[in-house]
Amino acid sequence: MKKNNNILSIQNVSYRYSDAEKDEYAIRNISYNFESGKVYAIRGKSGSGKTTLLSLISGLEKCSEGSILFDEKDLKNINLDEYRSHDIGVVFQSYNLLPFMSVSENIILSMDVSGIKIDNKKARALELMKTVGLKDSYANRKVLKISGGEQQRVAIARSLSYDPKIIIADEPTGNLDKETEEDIIDIFKKLAHINGKCVIIVTHSPNVCAMADKVYDLKTNK
Amino acid sequence: MYILKNALISIFRNKGRNILIGIIIFIISLASTIMLAINNTASDLIASYESAYEKEVTISFNRENMMKKSDFSSEDGKEKAKENFSNISSYTIDDIEKFANSKYVKSYYYTYDISLNGSSIQKVTDEKADDSKKDDFHFDKSHGQSSLDFTLMGYSSAEAMSEFIDGNYEITQITDDAWDNIFKGKYVFISDELASYNNTSLNDKIELSDENGNKYEFEVVGIYKEKSNENSMEMFSNSANTIITNADEVVSITSSNNSIKGKLNPTFIIDDYKNVSKIQKEFYSKGLDKNYVLESNEEKVSSSLSSILNVRSFSVTFLIVTLAIGVVVLFVINMINIRERKYEIGVLRTIGMSKLKLTIQFTLELLIIAFISLIIGTGVGFITSKNVSNTLLSNEIKNSEKTVSDIKSNFGGPESKGGPSLEHGYRGMPNVQAYDKVDAVVNVKVVGELLVIGLTLVFISSTSSMITIQRFSPLTILKERS
Repeated sequence: MKKNNNILSIQNVSYRYSDAEKDEYAIRNISYNFESGKVYAIRGKSGSGKTTLLSLISGLEKCSEGSILFDEKDLKNINLDEYRSHDIGVVFQSYNLLPFMSVSENIILSMDVSGIKIDNKKARALELMKTVGLKDSYANRKVLKISGGEQQRVAIARSLSYDPKIIIADEPTGNLDKETEEDIIDIFKKLAHINGKCVIIVTHSPNVCAMADKVYDLKTNK
Repeated sequence: MYILKNALISIFRNKGRNILIGIIIFIISLASTIMLAINNTASDLIASYESAYEKEVTISFNRENMMKKSDFSSEDGKEKAKENFSNISSYTIDDIEKFANSKYVKSYYYTYDISLNGSSIQKVTDEKADDSKKDDFHFDKSHGQSSLDFTLMGYSSAEAMSEFIDGNYEITQITDDAWDNIFKGKYVFISDELASYNNTSLNDKIELSDENGNKYEFEVVGIYKEKSNENSMEMFSNSANTIITNADEVVSITSSNNSIKGKLNPTFIIDDYKNVSKIQKEFYSKGLDKNYVLESNEEKVSSSLSSILNVRSFSVTFLIVTLAIGVVVLFVINMINIRERKYEIGVLRTIGMSKLKLTIQFTLELLIIAFISLIIGTGVGFITSKNVSNTLLSNEIKNSEKTVSDIKSNFGGPESKGGPSLEHGYRGMPNVQAYDKVDAVVNVKVVGELLVIGLTLVFISSTSSMITIQRFSPLTILKERS
């Protein structure tokens, strides 16, 4: 029996870089809870540790103190490669797509890495492209040949490809114009409210914070 | 499966660099094939030489030891040394047979010589040269009669005729059935100098006599000449007064006349050089005087192999240098490759690809290129190595062919033309031929060795990518946002 609805729980987490001084923390003593079906915004100024927090949540780094629980399991005790390829989808500000691959290849690569069993991966990729508002004709285009907004959509489609429970996005609208930003926000809202995902957005955009179900403020620790 | 797909995509994406890597591996595998082929050919030649040379030991007097024990400072000491020397017991043909009856000894042959005077013929002489050769003090155990005119040299078989095999003597005239008779009866070969000095020719009879006046008649069936120039300042060669016959004839002379002492030089063909000391021990226990030691022909064999051993060690050195340079170059290219692909590694790591799978992918990429280049390199090496190794080793091959024909001509022609039949083949003559068949040079062994070399090369040079991947933090690409 689950004690609560939290899909992700950050408990007294602190992080200090290995080359930092003893008392110099990038983030300190943070405790947040995240539930499925909601959009969360984590707001903070530059240097407040947004990226650090994102890397901790996405399992790219391990926290120095405290613990992060996914589905009540401590990330310290689970295989983080498995976690990243199955349970959490990460959308980066710079998209982090592979430029030598086409749109559909980028999405399919994620499915391959996760090892998810899908009969027709190409069809699934087209379906995901439709979800994020990309036409079928983009499937075979190299990602460098499409606009920033479109690349961001591809990145979101990729993060959804293996059906993770959490989507975490780093400044997903940082490089985009206002109209595109609204589109992207819309996609995230649908993912949370319709598809039941837990969507966490690290941002300093007021628009994003305005549409979020809950906003966490990250204080500067320096 | 997607790892292989990714690897293939990456190979085609980085065509330029991968072609460069391919060319390097091609050159390495080509050089390696040729070097391995040379190495194998050289090894074959060496094995052939070694099997052609019988492993032999001879009995020799331990002069050094004797000198150490003697005191030459006084007349007494000199006399004592002489006495000691004459007390050393000699060995007989029966002893030799006894010695040879050993598990280490495969066979044996010997020469047995005595000194006789000429009765119907005159000694070839140049008095001036002879005067200068007289020593004040010299040990000669068996040649008590060294002042006699001729040396009658008896050989137990054609194998024992090392002067002919080594090229010091050469038959110049011979009767048709000489080789059938020389080991059977009273037949002799004489030197060309002796022949012309006494106006003797083939089928003539010569008569020798011992100190007691007993006469021995022989028929001349062959005339030989000494080829070596050791005595070039003298009028006649050393062998001018040496008359060659078979050992049995010499035995029959010594056994009918006890005062004649012959000099017996046995040669034992043994199974392995490493048993020499065991054989010596065995001979001592069978009655060989401890003032004698056994000497093997190992050094002589290995010195005749020196040039080919050089070729072989050169090929090994060259191979190692090529591989070392290859590994370094590939390592560096790989390192650059990995640095340029940090972004890709970061992306793959963030979407959850494990370090192990990434390492497999990067190694697989190199492995595929290496495999293709290895096949092409080995193929080209396969075709060219035959010529290269034959050219490099052509001297050895020519020499060995020349030796065979030289020895045959020293014996007065091949067996088919009346030459002797040698039970153990032509001693010191390897059966070496030019390698016409490629598979003799590049065989399964070479291909196997190349495969191991190739794989080692790939794994060593891909350690750079392995280490980078292991140490890579995916957070790097988050921080290095473009």
